[in-house]
Amino acid sequence: MINAYYLQVLTIMGINVIMALGLNLITGVTGQLSLGHAAFMSIGAYAAAILTLNYGAPFWLALLFGALVAAFFGVLLGFPTLRLSGDYLAIATMGFGEITRVILLNLDIAGRALGISGIPHSSNFSTVWILAVLSIVTMVFVGNSRLGRAFLAIREDEIAAEAMGVNSTYYKIQAFALGSFFAGLGGGLYAHYITYLNPSDFGFMKSIEILNMVVLGGMGSIPGTILGAGVLTAVPEVLRAVREYRMLFYGGLLVFMMIFKPNGLLGGVHFSTIRNWLIRIFKGSAGSPAGGSRGGTGAGEDAKTRVQEG
Amino acid sequence: MFLQQLINGVTLGSTYALIALGYTMVYGIILLINFAHGEIYMVGSFIALILVVSYKVNIVAAFFAAMLGCMILGVLMERIAYRPLRHKNSNRLSALISAIGVSIFLSNLVLMLRGPQTTRFPDVIEYQFYSIGPAQISNLQILIIVISAALMLGLQYIVMRTKVGKAMRATSMDMQTAYLMGINVNRIVAITFAIGSSLGAAAGVLVGIYFNAVSPLMGTMAGMKAFTAAVLGGIGSIPGAMLGGVLLGVAEVLGVAYLSSSYRDAIAFGILIIILLIKPSGILGQRALKKV
Amino acid sequence: MSKKRLSALISIGLVVVLALGALLPMAAFAAGELKIGFLGALSGNVAIYGTQSLKGMKLAVEEINAAGGVLGKKLVIVEEDDRGDKTEVANIMQKYATQDKVFAVVGDPTTGATKVAAPIAQQNKIILISPGSTAPGVVEIGDYIFRDTLLDSVGAPAIAKYAIQTKKWKRFALITSINNDFSVGLSKLFEAGIKKYGGQVVIKESVSDGDTDFSAQITKIKAAKPDAIVFSAYYTEGALIMKEAQKQGLKVPMVGGDGLTAPPYIEIGGKAVEGSIFYNGFSPEQPTANTRKFLDAFAKKYNGEVAELFAAQGYDAVKIIAAALKKAGTTDPKAFRDAVAATKEFPGASGTITFLSNREPLKSPVYLLTVKNGEFGLLAKVPVKE
Repeated sequence: MINAYYLQVLTIMGINVIMALGLNLITGVTGQLSLGHAAFMSIGAYAAAILTLNYGAPFWLALLFGALVAAFFGVLLGFPTLRLSGDYLAIATMGFGEITRVILLNLDIAGRALGISGIPHSSNFSTVWILAVLSIVTMVFVGNSRLGRAFLAIREDEIAAEAMGVNSTYYKIQAFALGSFFAGLGGGLYAHYITYLNPSDFGFMKSIEILNMVVLGGMGSIPGTILGAGVLTAVPEVLRAVREYRMLFYGGLLVFMMIFKPNGLLGGVHFSTIRNWLIRIFKGSAGSPAGGSRGGTGAGEDAKTRVQEG
Repeated sequence: MFLQQLINGVTLGSTYALIALGYTMVYGIILLINFAHGEIYMVGSFIALILVVSYKVNIVAAFFAAMLGCMILGVLMERIAYRPLRHKNSNRLSALISAIGVSIFLSNLVLMLRGPQTTRFPDVIEYQFYSIGPAQISNLQILIIVISAALMLGLQYIVMRTKVGKAMRATSMDMQTAYLMGINVNRIVAITFAIGSSLGAAAGVLVGIYFNAVSPLMGTMAGMKAFTAAVLGGIGSIPGAMLGGVLLGVAEVLGVAYLSSSYRDAIAFGILIIILLIKPSGILGQRALKKV
Repeated sequence: MSKKRLSALISIGLVVVLALGALLPMAAFAAGELKIGFLGALSGNVAIYGTQSLKGMKLAVEEINAAGGVLGKKLVIVEEDDRGDKTEVANIMQKYATQDKVFAVVGDPTTGATKVAAPIAQQNKIILISPGSTAPGVVEIGDYIFRDTLLDSVGAPAIAKYAIQTKKWKRFALITSINNDFSVGLSKLFEAGIKKYGGQVVIKESVSDGDTDFSAQITKIKAAKPDAIVFSAYYTEGALIMKEAQKQGLKVPMVGGDGLTAPPYIEIGGKAVEGSIFYNGFSPEQPTANTRKFLDAFAKKYNGEVAELFAAQGYDAVKIIAAALKKAGTTDPKAFRDAVAATKEFPGASGTITFLSNREPLKSPVYLLTVKNGEFGLLAKVPVKE
C-alpha cells in the first residue's frame, strides 16, 4: 500500500541520498569537513529553476545545467580555500554558505525574499530514483578507481599521500567538484519537486542536516550514506507520533545514535562487505575473508584506525 | 560618524568575544566544535530573565546564578553526550553531531517551555551616556567591553598560570600522554566545560541586558558568529577569541555603514575567508606542526 | 566481522521499526468528526506565527463545538509542525490529503510555505485558507486557495497619506527586512505611497529577521535626519530598532504596517515606541463586538495572553470555514468551495472580510492606529472599496 504520502517521502529520500552521497565524497571519503553543502544545493536548485522558468529549457537539461553550475562553484571555492586544513576549511565553507544565502536574498533574478515559485513539477519518484541509482553506481565506480584511492589516501594522511606522489590540492578540488555536482543535481530535483525556492531553505541548518546523514550512516561508506539519508528523512515523519516532543526526540536521537554507534550505523561497511556477507549466508561459512575481495575499498582498509583526537 | 560606528562595532564585537571565549576554550582542549555553546548562552540569559522577572532577584545575583546553572548544565552535557564518545574509537565528527543533537534538544526544550516569542529583558541598569567628541558611549557599552576584556584576562591567567591550567594545556597537547603522566583527563575536560559554559551564560545575561531581548532562537546565529570570531582570531587562542570577536563586530558594523546593510553577513563572512587565506590558522593561531 | 554483522542487523532492525512506525495508522478519529488540517511552524525560526494561528484556531473550534458543531458533527484540528521547512510542508500537506483526509486546511501563515502546500491542496480539491500570507502569487495557484489577511495595497498608502498630510512628516527612513517576503513587498508599497503624497525617502536600510543589533543602521539613519522611520516587517525587530534609536538619541516615530500591531511591540519597545503609527484590520481600542468577544475569550483560554494578529486570522479562517459549511449543507468539495468563495462581509475578529472574485480578501474598514501612553489608540477609519 503505497499512497501519495509515502511515495512523496520516498521521493524526498532519493533526493537526499543523491545530495548526501555528494557530501560523503567530500567529507567521508576525502576527509574535508564541509559545512556549506546546502549552498551548492541552492546554486543547483536556483540555476535549474531559472533555466526552466525563464528560458523554457527541458527538465533534464536544467538538471544538468544546475549540477554543472554547482560543480563550477565547487571548483571556484576549492581553489583558494583548499589550502586550509581541518576546521579552518569547515568554517570557510560555512562562510561560503552564508554568503551564498545573502547573495540570493539580494538577487532580483532569484526573486529576493519572495523566492522563485511556480516551478514545473517535473521530478517524480522514478526520475529521482533512476538518478539516485545512477549516482550510487558512479560513487562505487569512483571509489574503486585511482581517483577514489587518492581521495582515501588524502583522508588517511595527507602528508604521506603527497610524499607518495598524490597531488592533494588537485584531488581535493576534484572531490569538491564532484561532490558539488551531486549537491546541485539534488538541488535541481528538489526545485522541480517542491516547486518553490526560498533562500531561507538553504541555511546553515540544511547543511548540517545533510552532514548528519553522512556521519550517522557511516563516513566514507556508500551503503551507510544511503541508510543515513533514508533514516533521517523518515525520522521526522515517524516522530510525528510524539507531537510537540518531536524535535526533542530528534536531538536526543542524534546524541544516542552517536554514543551507541560512534562511527555511524554502517561505518566501514561497503557493498563488497555486504556481498561477502551474502556469499557467506548462502554458501555457508565458505565466504572470502573480510576486505580480501577484488573490490578495492574493502572493509579492512576503511575500518582501520581513524584519526582519533578526541 | 566613523567614531560612533567604531564604538558600535567594538560593543557588538565584545558580545561576540564573550561567547567566543567559551567556544575557543573547549576547542583548545578537546578539539570539539561545541555547537551547543550557543544554546548554553541562550539558556543562561533565560535563567537570569526568569530570576529577575519572576523572582525579583537582584541582577548581580541572577548573573552569578545563571553562570552556576550553566556550569552544571555544561558538565552534565559533557558527561552525557561527549564523554562516552571520547572513550570509544570514534572520529571527531561523531562528537560534532552529538553536539548538534544537544543543541537541537536544548533550543527546542526552551521553545516548548517558554514559547517561541522574543521576551523583553527588563532595564536593570539605568542608561548613562558619555560624549567622546562627536560620538557617545553608554555605561552599558563600557560595561560589556570591560567585562569581556576582564574575563579574557582571567581566563588567560587560569590557563597560563595555574596548576589546572597547566593540566589543561597538557591535555590539549596530547590527551593520552597527559593521562599517563597522572593527569585526571576526565576531570580536566569537565572543568573546561564548566568554565566555558559559565562564560557562555555570562555572555547570555550581558547580551540580554544590552539588547533588551531574549528568545529561544537567539543561540544559533550567535553561536555561528562566535565560532567565526574564534576561528578568525585563531581557534584555541584566548586573546585570539577576543581579537576575532572585536574584528568581526567592527567589520560588520563598518560594512553596514560604508558598504551596504543588505549584504551585512556576506561582508562579515567574506572578510573571514580573506583573512583565512592570508593567515590560514587565524590571526593569533599557531600553525600546528604535523608529525609525519 | 561478527560485530559488524551485529551492527548491520541492528541498523536493518532500526529501518524496519521506522518503516512500521510510518505505516501504523495515525490516531483514529471517531466517525462523526470533520477534520481541519493546521499548517504552520511550531518550532524553528517562524514558530511564532504558527503557534499564534493554531491558538486562534483551537479557540474557534472549541466555540463551534460547544454550540453543537457543524452539520451535526464536531470539528477536529489535525496539527503537525512543519518547522518552516518546505519539504516538511509538502509532506504534511500530502499526509493531510491522503491519510487524514481533511476537508479544509488553515495555513501556512507564511507565504513561501503556502506556495508549497497550495498546489497539493488544489490538486486534491481541499480548501486552503492562509491566515497570514500577503505576497502576490498565492491565490493565483487555484480556485481552492484563499487567504484572510489585510491587503497592504490599501493600508500602506493610507498610512503614508496620514503621515504626510496630517502629521506633516516629509523625510522618511525606510527599513526593510531582507529575509522577510512580507517586508520586501510592503516596502515597495510604502515607497510608492510616500512618493505619491509628496514625501521623500531619504535613506534606505536593510535588517534581517532575528537580528538584535541595529546600532550601525541607526547611526546612519540619524545622520540623514528623517522625520520618521518606516519599517515594513514585524514587531520584535520594530521595537528593538526603536529602542536602539532611543539609545542613540534619535527621537522620531515609527511608521509601519499591521505586522507591528501586536502587544509585544509596546511591551518590548516601552517608551521608545510612543507615537508610532500603523494600520490594521481591527482596532484594539475600539473593537467591534466580535473582536471584543474574541479578545476576551482568548485571554480566558490562554491565561490572560493578549491575542495577536495571526491568532485572530487563524480564528477567522476556521469560523469562515464553519459558516460556509453550514451554508453549503454538505462537505462536497465543489459546493463547499463555492460557499467559501461567496463569503461576504463576514464579521471576523481580525476585521470584516469579503472574498473578492479572485479569492483575495477585502477587509473594510482599515484602522489607522497609534501608540499613546503605552496603549494602542485609534486615529482614523478608512473605508475600503473593491
